[in-house]
Amino acid sequence: MWTDYRSKSDRSRSRETSGIRENTELSGVRLHQSRRQFLWDLGGGFGSVALASLLHGDRLLAAEPMSSKNPLASRKAHFAAKATNVVQIFCPGGLSHVDTWDYRPELERRHGEAFDAELGKQTFAGVGGNYAKSFWKFRQHGECGRWLSDLFPRLASHVGEMAFIHSMQSKSALHGPAMFMANSGFIRPGFPSMGAWVTYGLGSESENLPAFVVLPDTRGLPPGGLANWAAGFLPAVHQGTVIETSAERPPIADLFPPADRSVSPDAERDGREFLRTLNVAHADRRGDSLLEARIAAYELAARLQMSAPEAVDLSGESAATLKPYELDDPDVGPFGRQCLLARRLVERGVRFVQIFCGAENTSSKKIRPNWDSHEDIVRDHGYWGRVLDTGASALIADLKQRGLLDSTLIICTSEFGRQPFMQGSQKGRDHNPGVFTAWLAGGGIRGGTSYGTSDDLGWHAAENPSYSYDLHATALHLLGLDHEQLSFYHNGIARRLTDVHGHVIRDILA
Amino acid sequence: MKLASIPVCFLMLLACGRADEISFERDIRPILSARCVACHGANKQKGELRLDAKRLALRGGESGPVIVPGKSGESLLWRRVSSTNDDERMPPDGKPLTAEQLAALKAWIDAGAVWPESDADRAAANDKRREHWAWQPIQRMTPPNNEHPIDTILKTKLHANGLTMSPEADRRTLIRRLTFDLLGLPPTPEEVEAFASDRDPQAYEKLVDRLLDSPHYGERWARHWLDIAHYADTHGFERDQRRDNAWRYRDWVIRALNADKPYNDFLRDQIAGDVLRPNDPEAVIATGFLAAGPWDFVGQAETPSPVLKRLARADDLDDMLTQVMTAACGVTINCARCHDHKLDPISQREYYGLSAVFAGVKRGEREVSAIEVRDLAARKQALNAELQQVRTEQAKLSGRHFDLADIVGGGDGLGTGKLGEGIDLITGKPQSAKRGFLEGAKPNIFARSTAKFVDGVVIPDLSPEGTQISSTGLKVMKPPRTSGQAWDAIRFGPVNSHFSTKLDGVDYAADGHTLLSLHANAAITFDLAALREAGAPAEMKFTATAGYFGQTPKNGASYFVYVDGELKANQKNIGRDDGGLAVDVVLPSPARFLTLMSTDGGNGIGHDQICFADPWLVAAQPPPLSDADKVQLARLQQRRAELEKELAAFPVPTKVYAVITETPPPVKLLKRGDPEQPADEVSPTSLSCVSGLKPELGTLQSSDGERRKAFADWITSPANPLTRRVIVNRLWHYHFGAGLVETPSDFGLGGSQPSHPELLDWLADELLAQRWSLKAIHRLICTSAAYRQESSRRTRESSVTGRGNGSLTTSATTQAIAIDANNRLLWRMNPCRLDAESLRDSVLSVSGKLNATMFGPGYRDFEYQEEYAPVYRYITPDSPDLWRRSVYRFAVRTTTHQFLTTLDCPSPANLVPARNTTTTALQSLTLLNNDFMLRQSGYFADRVKANAGTEPTAQVARAFQLAFGRKPTSVETAAAVSLVQGRDLTQLCRMLLNANEFVYVD
Repeated sequence: MWTDYRSKSDRSRSRETSGIRENTELSGVRLHQSRRQFLWDLGGGFGSVALASLLHGDRLLAAEPMSSKNPLASRKAHFAAKATNVVQIFCPGGLSHVDTWDYRPELERRHGEAFDAELGKQTFAGVGGNYAKSFWKFRQHGECGRWLSDLFPRLASHVGEMAFIHSMQSKSALHGPAMFMANSGFIRPGFPSMGAWVTYGLGSESENLPAFVVLPDTRGLPPGGLANWAAGFLPAVHQGTVIETSAERPPIADLFPPADRSVSPDAERDGREFLRTLNVAHADRRGDSLLEARIAAYELAARLQMSAPEAVDLSGESAATLKPYELDDPDVGPFGRQCLLARRLVERGVRFVQIFCGAENTSSKKIRPNWDSHEDIVRDHGYWGRVLDTGASALIADLKQRGLLDSTLIICTSEFGRQPFMQGSQKGRDHNPGVFTAWLAGGGIRGGTSYGTSDDLGWHAAENPSYSYDLHATALHLLGLDHEQLSFYHNGIARRLTDVHGHVIRDILA
Repeated sequence: MKLASIPVCFLMLLACGRADEISFERDIRPILSARCVACHGANKQKGELRLDAKRLALRGGESGPVIVPGKSGESLLWRRVSSTNDDERMPPDGKPLTAEQLAALKAWIDAGAVWPESDADRAAANDKRREHWAWQPIQRMTPPNNEHPIDTILKTKLHANGLTMSPEADRRTLIRRLTFDLLGLPPTPEEVEAFASDRDPQAYEKLVDRLLDSPHYGERWARHWLDIAHYADTHGFERDQRRDNAWRYRDWVIRALNADKPYNDFLRDQIAGDVLRPNDPEAVIATGFLAAGPWDFVGQAETPSPVLKRLARADDLDDMLTQVMTAACGVTINCARCHDHKLDPISQREYYGLSAVFAGVKRGEREVSAIEVRDLAARKQALNAELQQVRTEQAKLSGRHFDLADIVGGGDGLGTGKLGEGIDLITGKPQSAKRGFLEGAKPNIFARSTAKFVDGVVIPDLSPEGTQISSTGLKVMKPPRTSGQAWDAIRFGPVNSHFSTKLDGVDYAADGHTLLSLHANAAITFDLAALREAGAPAEMKFTATAGYFGQTPKNGASYFVYVDGELKANQKNIGRDDGGLAVDVVLPSPARFLTLMSTDGGNGIGHDQICFADPWLVAAQPPPLSDADKVQLARLQQRRAELEKELAAFPVPTKVYAVITETPPPVKLLKRGDPEQPADEVSPTSLSCVSGLKPELGTLQSSDGERRKAFADWITSPANPLTRRVIVNRLWHYHFGAGLVETPSDFGLGGSQPSHPELLDWLADELLAQRWSLKAIHRLICTSAAYRQESSRRTRESSVTGRGNGSLTTSATTQAIAIDANNRLLWRMNPCRLDAESLRDSVLSVSGKLNATMFGPGYRDFEYQEEYAPVYRYITPDSPDLWRRSVYRFAVRTTTHQFLTTLDCPSPANLVPARNTTTTALQSLTLLNNDFMLRQSGYFADRVKANAGTEPTAQVARAFQLAFGRKPTSVETAAAVSLVQGRDLTQLCRMLLNANEFVYVD
């Protein structure tokens, strides 16, 4: 008889699998069962065995060797960490530093003068124009007296928490390569993104949610697409998992069967039970931990089916919490939801959350779908500025109020800045990889400070020129990782997020 | 040493006056190379002395320094070569140095022994890294005759470690293993049964041969090669545009592998097919290999910035070079781009030497055969010529016609005009004089004409106010942007400096034809009302053959035809290749103004010679015709229809995304890899560390073709030890799940050591003996006992129960795991998880939905949306055209395929020598819930029902056979029947496709 084939403990466990039934009833709505009960039901079989993988190339890496059983098991950092989680807000398209974070009084004086025509030809669009001062007035804020433009009235109240790197540069003036550089340290595609490196180095804090989650803009993917959160040559388990930002769709692809092909809870339960028994018998015959790992992966999948919908369900949030995110505003709301989701994910142990504030360029939209304001900076930055200001300020306040800001590193960056002069006769500015600003806040960051400067006009980096290498090295440092030690052998080289560069920017550390 | 020698040298120059004549490279090195280096060089270092590298030569040998600059008498080198004692004199063999050579050496030493360090010196002095195993020649080993050579070598090492091979796997396991391995598909239940019960002692060998002969073999193994080439069907980067003709290269790989094309030819064609055999379309298509990787449209084409373009091109070359060197030679050349290689003896100069090989190569879409292009063009020209002739004949039968060219020539449209006369674009008045570039011409100023039936003329350009085209103020609001310039005049006949009056072989200057030349930018409006007053019919038709009569095959000139300001006909960006284009525009009785316009595309008016040939106004209703004319007209109409049909369906030349060859620009060493810091120019060279081969691949003047030919020769030379070692190791890697060298694309010092160096060399040697046949190596590997072993780690059950005599005992397994947990010595076969594509193909195969159609454009399981950055939205593949094997997928580089990526399908941004295999919860979710999987589970259930009827036990038996190639046990049957009865068959099928036994091959 089939039932005799199983061990006694297997049989006793099978009576308790009602968790699956309840689980499959949620179909994207709510779960009523307690988490502990669910884990008990599903986690037992192989006990501590979680994910496993047959890893090629995993030679030397993080402080602690990768577990052969679970590549996402939480791993020790190289040294004590200041932050355990990261929320990165990425503003694709090229956020204009001279209109936002980087006050350049000299630019006001030179307003209207022509930029060098020959140098103008070297820009992306190939035309220079007249110098133009910020389209928003700059004011000093907070005790630290940092200058911020009026585009960000709400973030202005948080300058005491923020540290600015005013000397960021990129090695490309093109969106795709510059996006790759900002996210992976290389201007070519194919390298692991920062989130992948971090989960590779530290593993996951959460047993029920992916370690690296990406929340794309509801308008679509950013320039370069999925490559921005790819695992590159790292094992696929480290790639970012996209969580649907819109409330209408299931949070993770294939989390449940599509609506028109749904499987009844009873059938799901019986099917899974059959599969498990089949796999257990097979693994028993074969004696291979890989097979056990695959059984465990199905159990983890069941847990994910419960925890992911719960993580994106905002119904338990208080009105006071929800208000600053302005979820009902058609323009600002979607990004507010991304920010609020980021907070919930961090709370639930997701290691790295990447939020995109903007999508890919399309020609068919009235307002640019990202910050790439070539032809009308007031229109496009005006729109996106309000979006970023609302969501990011709400996120900082929310994390702070919950005591999570100390352990959560917030990074806000773009792939490059914009030129201090107009693009020919247009009302916008061209790409400027010569200098731009990124800011950090939260875990381990000394707020109200800055590092590096642009030149008087905001055209090139002046003091302490920096690259994504330095930003990445600093972020890894705060997470307890030495960017020179965190490496992975691939096609002849022990690769790093920071290539052969990178310095920890200690001036902005607490 | 060098510093110290400077003053000495200087003094000697002053003293003896002849030192300036001694050049080390010209006079001294040849002596050393010819007479000394054989014993004092890289291969032998007698007396620990080397004379092939400056640093080593000046250091000296056992007896200390041998060269004392400035003092030949104190230099051992001089004393030994000039000795009169036969026992002492060097070289010991052969004749002594000539008096001339001796004099040169003496003068050189006395002049300070100036030895400018060259690359060869540096390379020769390069430490032990040059002795790395991979660069050394392949060692032939003769295995004993009585056993499979692979097994002999493996067993020797196993025994030395106290291990033995596992017993042979059972036949069901073997046929599954072989079929997945060689075809990437599961065997059918019938094939499993036939093999399991085959009593032929050669059954296994025959199975191997049958599978190697299957066309699916090429599909499976092409996938491996396409991984190495990082092939995809789009450019990648930000604007991920389509490469609609890249697939021909993918098909080429499949065909080449199926035909067992010798591996050396396989590589040669991919590197230089277009220059080796330019008239062989297959050879041209093969170079799709060089173009397979990503290409940055924005950086290479879109941006006007030269700095950004140089950077993008440098990255492009790096990608191409790295792909070829890692694929063919396992050399991580990319590590030497910014500095000398940190691990391998490869200099930065050598990197740029290899870069020079590809400097004349651009990726791009091209025709595969110049002959085909020529033949098609000739045929098309003939058809066009006939069509224009037919149209002219037809028009003649339409009764009296008004000729607009004649009107431009000052005539009444019926033949009174003067050939060569024209209308001035600025004044609108008749213009007889030849003019050139119209200085002072301004766009959008309408000039009324005094010519009969001509309302006026204008030079058009885009403007917010529009372009006025008639005296009544009619405007065309959006003409194209132009340069605003104009040439000569609008003329009856050719304009000044007209290139040719012929098009498609028809000369429109000949009798019976007329030509209205409308060199860009120009527009002319005819007054139809005035023509009607002069007797033209009320209802008319404008008929003409418009075309580009200039010299350029492809051009940016365009023409437009408006009636009362409304666009009725136009063609943009036409060139000579486009031939004559038929214009037929109806002119109803209320129509008053007919406007003809030509524009230059905005890039200036050079060569923009637009003409309207036979520009006639004919009656819309033909006049009464004679019977003979009626017959003639019917014949013309029929012929015209035939011609138009043929032209509409006229084939375009076959195209492929491959390489375009150009004259190589100078290649310079780039300091720190920075394109803005060029240093000296570098000629095409390859790696000097590879023994037995000369690195030179040409000169600074060599053409692209010469460079690539020389490089292809270098790669495929039997003396190149890397190429053959790398490919046999790749085959081994795919067959066993791990290579003899575990880093298949890195054979350098940073890569892994071979587990069995003698086996690697034996296989590499055998590849040559088998005339580079890859199938011969497959056959060797697959027929070894090592390959046929069991893969299970747990054989104790069988030992305990007494089943399977000869199985490893528990203790033997434990011992093997203790000694060699990673199975490097191959005491068992490695089980393997199906890769993403094989898994998808197997699902389709089991459900019975696999569409086995081979070749052709890739299937597109996405919706495509044209945008600045095109959008690819994946759909559920649920129709036969989307159920082809995964190798035929149209692979989008930037938008990776969610289903396949989750299952570890790598991004084609990367060169992939080995697939990662991970096990994740997201994979479980995808296999359980993805729409494709659910639909296929349903089809699988349908198939089972069709095969086995409605009886659950029979259904379960069939389902297991299809999914696992075996019958279910009684226990499994009971559980499965219970699931089928309690739920449904689809649920069973869904779970079987999720089972470990389905996704793991033993």
